[in-house]
Amino acid sequence: MGLQVGSNPMSMDAIAALLAERFAGDLEDVRIQEPDTIVARCAREKLLDVAARLKADADAGYETLNWIAGVDRRTSFESIYHLYSWKTNTWFELRVDVPRAEPEVDTVTGVWPAADWHERESWDMVGIVYVGHPDLRRILLKDDFVGHPLRKDYVDLAENHPHV
Amino acid sequence: MDILVAILRAVLFVVIAYAVVFIAALANILYERRFMAFIGDRLGPNRTGPQGLLQSIADAFKMMGKEDFRPMLSDPVLFTLAPITVMIGAVAIQLVLPYTGGAMATDLNIGIIFLVAITSFTTLSILMGGWASHNKYSLVGALRAAAQMISYEIPMLLGLLIVAMVVGSLNISAVIAWQTHYRWLIFYLPFTFLSFYIASLAELNRGPFDLPESESELVAGYATEYSGMRFGMFYLNEYAGLTIMSMVTVTLFFGGWMGPWATALHVWGVDWIGILWFLAKTYVLVSVLIWVRFSIPRLQVDQLMAFAWKILIPLGLVNILATAAIILWVPSWKWGLAVFGWVSFFAFVGLFDPILKRRLRKQRERQPVVSA
Amino acid sequence: MYDQFESPEPDEAVKLALRRIEESTARGEGSDVDGLAFNEVVVNMGPQHPSTHGVLRLVVTLDGELVKDVIPVIGYLHRCKEKLAEKRTYFQYIPIVDRTEYLASINCEWAYVMTVEKLAGMQVTRRAEFIRVITGELMRIASHLVAVGTFTADLSPLGTAMVFYMFRDREVILDLMEELTGARMMFNYYRFGGVRYDLPDGWTSKCRDFLKMFPAKIKEYEALVDTNAVFLQRTQGKGVITQQDVVDYGITGPNARASGVDLDLRRSRPYSVYPELDFEVVTAQHGDIFDRYRCRMDEMRESLRIIEQCLDMLPKGPVQLGSLRAPYVITPPPGSAYVGQENPRGEYGTYIESDGSRYPYRLKFRDPCFCNLQLFPKILSGVKIADAVAISGSIDLVLGGIDR
Repeated sequence: MGLQVGSNPMSMDAIAALLAERFAGDLEDVRIQEPDTIVARCAREKLLDVAARLKADADAGYETLNWIAGVDRRTSFESIYHLYSWKTNTWFELRVDVPRAEPEVDTVTGVWPAADWHERESWDMVGIVYVGHPDLRRILLKDDFVGHPLRKDYVDLAENHPHV
Repeated sequence: MDILVAILRAVLFVVIAYAVVFIAALANILYERRFMAFIGDRLGPNRTGPQGLLQSIADAFKMMGKEDFRPMLSDPVLFTLAPITVMIGAVAIQLVLPYTGGAMATDLNIGIIFLVAITSFTTLSILMGGWASHNKYSLVGALRAAAQMISYEIPMLLGLLIVAMVVGSLNISAVIAWQTHYRWLIFYLPFTFLSFYIASLAELNRGPFDLPESESELVAGYATEYSGMRFGMFYLNEYAGLTIMSMVTVTLFFGGWMGPWATALHVWGVDWIGILWFLAKTYVLVSVLIWVRFSIPRLQVDQLMAFAWKILIPLGLVNILATAAIILWVPSWKWGLAVFGWVSFFAFVGLFDPILKRRLRKQRERQPVVSA
Repeated sequence: MYDQFESPEPDEAVKLALRRIEESTARGEGSDVDGLAFNEVVVNMGPQHPSTHGVLRLVVTLDGELVKDVIPVIGYLHRCKEKLAEKRTYFQYIPIVDRTEYLASINCEWAYVMTVEKLAGMQVTRRAEFIRVITGELMRIASHLVAVGTFTADLSPLGTAMVFYMFRDREVILDLMEELTGARMMFNYYRFGGVRYDLPDGWTSKCRDFLKMFPAKIKEYEALVDTNAVFLQRTQGKGVITQQDVVDYGITGPNARASGVDLDLRRSRPYSVYPELDFEVVTAQHGDIFDRYRCRMDEMRESLRIIEQCLDMLPKGPVQLGSLRAPYVITPPPGSAYVGQENPRGEYGTYIESDGSRYPYRLKFRDPCFCNLQLFPKILSGVKIADAVAISGSIDLVLGGIDR
């Protein structure tokens, strides 16, 4: 019949319980953010597996990736994936901690094609490397820009302004 | 002595022809901009000179003042020759058109054939320009323009043949004399006029047929590598063509320079009021050409060619056969032609759109509905 | 002497395009013409181009007239708004949010203001909610007028006339907004908990005059375009966005609704007073250019209905929390929030993280055009260049939101 919004409506508690049960051990700290978002953490080694299972879940398949944000938490980075489930009409915020010394995490472009540009932007702004990305290059800044602006310790370098 | 007069007369007419082309081009640019603005609920250029009349001259000066250069790899001879020869068609056509009674450069016995032959010259110049540019996309644009122009010459030719059949002669003065004696040819041949008019729109690369020079397409037209006055010549030729084609149409279908009191003022062998009638009728047609340009979206290249070959040419051929049959076998063939002409005109105008829409609707129903 | 033919060093996008051509040639899909390794040409539809709406650069790989591949290059309008947020108070940032999707700036403000209100746990006065809906829907109409107008202008000189008719009507809306907020485009009007100014005297009657005048205008535009066989031929069946694309790339807004997907955030994640309002979500079945155009036209009609209902239901009361002015400096408690809102182009949202100070810790925009633009390589390959121009015009991009 085509894509429908909310074909399997469930209460937030039911979804949270479902996810806690199916992803026990992989998803930590599952909680509900009012009114319709589930927030959970995930270890970066398990990201690809969790992502694929989240997308393919029969009751609350999170098939659409809304956005990916890279955040600098001063001691580490965090890659936030905001997902949408058509069946339950709810959102999911998946947070993955990325160590600062080795800012690499697997790409999810194989799971959600929309991740392509969002991961490029996260790389561009924060400097998180998405391993396996088909074309990880600068998207908003110029190609030879040095540095990652949205880091908290970013200093504006003179070599980025050759004409000033 | 006669030879001297003949040479002076020839030079005079050539000068007049060039003057008409350039002045008409400049006037048309301004007229189009004002008319286009009127259609778009705006004002258009009205600051340079009274009512913006000097705008075109300002544009011409701007164009003349630009740097004149030629891309390194372009063909030196053809690159320069193309903009020079592009106006030959527009100028030469005027040599067989009567501006008014007694003001006709040369009364060729095969005037109608000369008209069609000389319009092809522009095609040649455009091809030269596209080829000489040493730019793949200019060449493609020029080839497309050439394909369009030669495709649409055929309906033009068919229309002219019908005019010749009705008048009984290929001589343009004979056409005017016939129209003076009977009525304007438009009353007898409206469908022929329509197909000739549409074909002339496409000849001019104007109106909905302006794919070769559309501004918002990526692939550049044949005139990309030209700048300054070289481009100016292509540009002016397009606008001059508006007037020239309208002059041809007026001569053939609307009685040329004839009208009430046209022969009233007969000085030095020329009817001076006829010129006013000629210009008035020409500019009515020019206005319609400009109006059409802003009313219909641009046709794509396949739609363009399909329209010429699958619609205009077959209908033109049927028209010729029917006209010939009527002239031969219908006793009062002029009235027969008129009836046939108006019936076919209204049939075409009335049925074309619904048939096309119905085909599109059927196509739409067959189009798959988007599903997951 | 300046050498006219010295090409600059190709940049990353062009190098990528050339690399892809090499790969496809190596795979055996090269040219079938003797003496040519490959048929394709890489052409740059540069940042300045009459039909890429805004400073969008498309590196197009052409095979004759067919587009083989498109690499969009963005960032020409990047103003580092997300970094600016870290040094501006929440209140100081409102005008900056205006300038992302500048054609519908009030909707962008709305998303931002809603997010901050959610973070800080603030309520909005009821009268202000209705005024927000009225202004949001007015700007939705204005934005759709620009979108449809420039789209028809891409197709033909007819569009150049139509653009001006639509802009003429947009002027009426902008006059209304100017009377209300003082600005024609960057309104800086919403505040946390309400709006800045109350409706001036006589504004509602002017608005109602507009509502009476406008439906006839929509009919006029449809008469010019819908019944035109050339236009129908150029737009039907082209540029189809499938529902799989909508799911894969996160397409929202009229682009998704034209493909039969019933996604409208005003219904699926209602905010403000939309639950109390009666309106239809406009969808279409074929997902092509023509359907996207029709969705926008019908959405304008629905917006008129919404505005009329709001004008009828408008309650009396204050338009701001607090006694005199809206709070200048707010310090939301630590936490994060994301609120998405139905922008004329899709789902526009802001994700804000607060660490308890006056400045946001992280602010991220979810921009609908950014997600829609990702679809370009898929949807534009295999079409002719002229169709490519029409398709890109129908997706309605605003570079301000893409580049931020």
